[in-house]
Amino acid sequence: MKRLLAAAMVLCLLGFQLCGCGGGTKPGDQAKVPDEPGVPEVIKIGHAVALTGDASIWGQSESNALKMWARKVNEQGGIDGKKIELVTYDTRADSVEAVNVAKRMIEQDKVVAIIGAAQSGVTIAMTAVTEPAKVPLIGTTATNPEVTVKDGVVRPHTFRVCFIDPFQGTVAAQFASTELGAKTAAVLYDVGSDYSSWLAQYFIEAFEKMGGTIVGKEAFRTGELDYRAMLGKLKEGNPDVIFIPTAQKEAALAMKQARDLGYEGKFLGGDNWGSPDIIELGGSAVEGGYFVNLASLEDPDIQDFIAEYRGEYGSDPVLPNPVMAIDALIVLVEAIKKAGSTDGDAICKAIEEIKDLQALTGKITYDPQTHNPLNKPAIIQQIKDGEFIYVEKYVTS
Amino acid sequence: MLLQTTITGLAIGGIYALMAVGYSLVFSVLNFSNFAHGSVIMLGAYAGYFVLTKAGASFPVALAGSMLAGVILGVTNERLAYRPLRVRNARPLYFMISAMGVAIFLENLVYATLGAHFYSYPEVLGRSIVRLGGASIGILDLFALAFSSVAITGLHFFLHNTKSGLAIRACSFDMTVASLFGVRIDRIVGLVFALAGALAGLSGIFLGMKYMAYPTMGWITNKAYVAAVIGGLGSLPGAVIGGIVLGLLETFVSVYISSIIRDVFSFSALVLVLLAMPNGLMGRYVEEKI
Amino acid sequence: MYIQGVLTVAMINIISTTGLAVFTGFTGLFSLGHAAFMAVGAYTSAILTYFVKAPYPVALLTGVLASSVLAVLVGYPTLRTRLRGDYFAIATIGMGEATRVILENLKITQGARGLPGISQYTTLPVAGAAAAIVLVLARNMLASVYGRNAVSVREDAVAAEMSGIHLLRTRMISLVFSAGCAGLAGGLYAHYLAFIQPVMFTMVQSTQITAAVVCGGTGSLTGPALAAFVFTVAPELLRAAQMWRLVIYGLMLVLIMVFRPQGLMGYRDLSWQGLCSLAARLRKGVRHAKG
Repeated sequence: MKRLLAAAMVLCLLGFQLCGCGGGTKPGDQAKVPDEPGVPEVIKIGHAVALTGDASIWGQSESNALKMWARKVNEQGGIDGKKIELVTYDTRADSVEAVNVAKRMIEQDKVVAIIGAAQSGVTIAMTAVTEPAKVPLIGTTATNPEVTVKDGVVRPHTFRVCFIDPFQGTVAAQFASTELGAKTAAVLYDVGSDYSSWLAQYFIEAFEKMGGTIVGKEAFRTGELDYRAMLGKLKEGNPDVIFIPTAQKEAALAMKQARDLGYEGKFLGGDNWGSPDIIELGGSAVEGGYFVNLASLEDPDIQDFIAEYRGEYGSDPVLPNPVMAIDALIVLVEAIKKAGSTDGDAICKAIEEIKDLQALTGKITYDPQTHNPLNKPAIIQQIKDGEFIYVEKYVTS
Repeated sequence: MLLQTTITGLAIGGIYALMAVGYSLVFSVLNFSNFAHGSVIMLGAYAGYFVLTKAGASFPVALAGSMLAGVILGVTNERLAYRPLRVRNARPLYFMISAMGVAIFLENLVYATLGAHFYSYPEVLGRSIVRLGGASIGILDLFALAFSSVAITGLHFFLHNTKSGLAIRACSFDMTVASLFGVRIDRIVGLVFALAGALAGLSGIFLGMKYMAYPTMGWITNKAYVAAVIGGLGSLPGAVIGGIVLGLLETFVSVYISSIIRDVFSFSALVLVLLAMPNGLMGRYVEEKI
Repeated sequence: MYIQGVLTVAMINIISTTGLAVFTGFTGLFSLGHAAFMAVGAYTSAILTYFVKAPYPVALLTGVLASSVLAVLVGYPTLRTRLRGDYFAIATIGMGEATRVILENLKITQGARGLPGISQYTTLPVAGAAAAIVLVLARNMLASVYGRNAVSVREDAVAAEMSGIHLLRTRMISLVFSAGCAGLAGGLYAHYLAFIQPVMFTMVQSTQITAAVVCGGTGSLTGPALAAFVFTVAPELLRAAQMWRLVIYGLMLVLIMVFRPQGLMGYRDLSWQGLCSLAARLRKGVRHAKG
């Protein structure tokens, strides 16, 4: 009897599965007859974002901001009278989940383009699906060069709206050597994170080019919490500054432990530090640390947006992800308008031709050779009295 | 450098030892790997955090709170997940699976309810450093080492100088015979889990203070399991020695060879110990009984 | 098609689960590191097709071979003496971590970044055929002398040894078969997803395979296969309940151990005969109800 029940349950599940997938397409799709071939009534845009997991603090805010902006676009008439519809899925900042999400968006929801992901590794994984399907993918804060260019060849359907890590590494190195007057630096990075290992490498290259000396380079594995063995070794070299290009949790712990070991120099980090978490977790140890960021709450260009976001959700957006995602949407809307079609290749061609487009964080011009935006500024921030303060702005020459 | 490395290694090894002792205690009596030990440690850390911040209590109260949470959880686990199996005289494999189930359940329950948020303890003991001839050690590490030593010595004393301790040791030799001599097995097993839970709570609050409290922190216990095997499963002195050896080995490998491939060394050490001394450094005879 | 993708993954999970079912279900040993075997199979085959452009079947088989070799390396020291299964279980934790460290640090695996752009050779027919082959192989193996030896070792190792069964050899054979299946599943998965990364092969992955075996029934082949299928398909239906999926797995493991340790299909297997008698009973039941 029990076996009978079990078998019946399995059959039910199977039944659900078949119905679930058959009915997966939204009713809106079939009801409307497109008046123009190639452009459906509703333009679906996928949004792959981490709504749960370690990166969710940015992801939640990014999702809120993008929804708000999409509504605004629709209120202003959409794209040539057609409304845009966001299809948002959670990636948990996990590559496998993101690949599944991309498959689902393309095959089931039939999105015309995808915004995301925030993490370089996740975005690169998604290209395995989006490139063969010729669906444009716009990375938000995916700063690794390989996101858009692989082995010297540009990925035809992949773009980004942020600067790239060599630039970020250069900015960090330049700031360390000129503004902080550092002659020696040490690096602690996370070998389990592609972002962290790349950024460490770019920083080292740039810092050495500027005549500085790297006195130590140590790594730990994702999930490890005790870095005192590595930090003790780094401290031996007596560096002026320790560069820690890791996520906020690890960075906060590392700074605490370095202070416990009696290190008295300065700390420097990358854009992953830009979360209030780092202050809560690091307490007094993170005070005075500098980091490179993509956007700042004090940037005069985005004050309107911040006010609007605050009015809608009652809190500040967690930068930089929300503004970067909105930039991506602005780029996409412009490209679809110009292309006059939702064909993937046509949209990509239109993005390549974008020049001086007024986006949220500034004017965007695309380099067709690399699919990177030109002249994206980097902002140096400092942690002071439990707040992030604006220090300086760097622009690529 | 050598001194600093040794101190850091001891501080890490001390925590491993504390975790391994709780795990080994259960193993010595019930002969199965209690993979849920890590989850009890994790919840102990959360309990300590909430007592400290939400109830605004002092550190000793928080310490008692997390140990109490560990005791309650340990005993509840035993009652719900292991006792039915013990009554049925089930195979050790079933105990292991059940323990694994408890671990997965508790960890993901926290994840689903409290989320992946990291809770950082307030700096109750301050951030002062004690300098020792060129090396430095955090005051928190000194506290953790002192408390661990007191707890482990206390446990040793309890096992060797009280009637209940004698009963526990008797059960670890042979439960059936012990029960023939009038030992109330259910009570003794409950006591063992309460002791292990208290140790887990203690490890939890120190781990939480040293690092932070978050859902997957129970996985640090994997290192304690490895330490227990190196020391010899089921042997309490073995667990202490295994923990300290592993802590020192890891720190020395990190400093003098490479921090990245440290885990490969820990694992190779495990395999080498098993090849040379199948019962671990201090292991008693643990081949399956005839 | 999306549904095809889900079914392909289900087939791949059936392969790894069948492997573990042979090991845990029939030899009574517990592994916490099967994901490492999958990782080795996945990386070996992916590197072969990606860099060397080897033919797909050759790459898959090399992957199977590589994970079998790893199984021998881990299995021999821990299963050699008649140590308790706990030693093996904990050694597999260490092996899982060590394997990931190595994958994260080799040049050819491209470290933590993973290998994107692997050719998508795995289609539903390929995965389905592989699953069928593995199931038939497992069934034949268990019906052979080896299978009966394995069961007797699980039931009573000492008695089995006294009857002249070579304990180590029996356990090693089942471990190698099981690791080979995991390696095959890993290779198929790499060429389905077109992307692999060391973090894909963590203990969560191992846990999922174990849960399927335990729920399906230790000592059964079709039970775990069925469970693997349901475990793959069900979460797709209940995306909203994603966060609770692992909570439910954990609870299920405990409940099954407490109330029905033999699992859904413990010690039994689906067979044509069984299905016929089931149908007969159903008919009888219907007639009874009508009457």
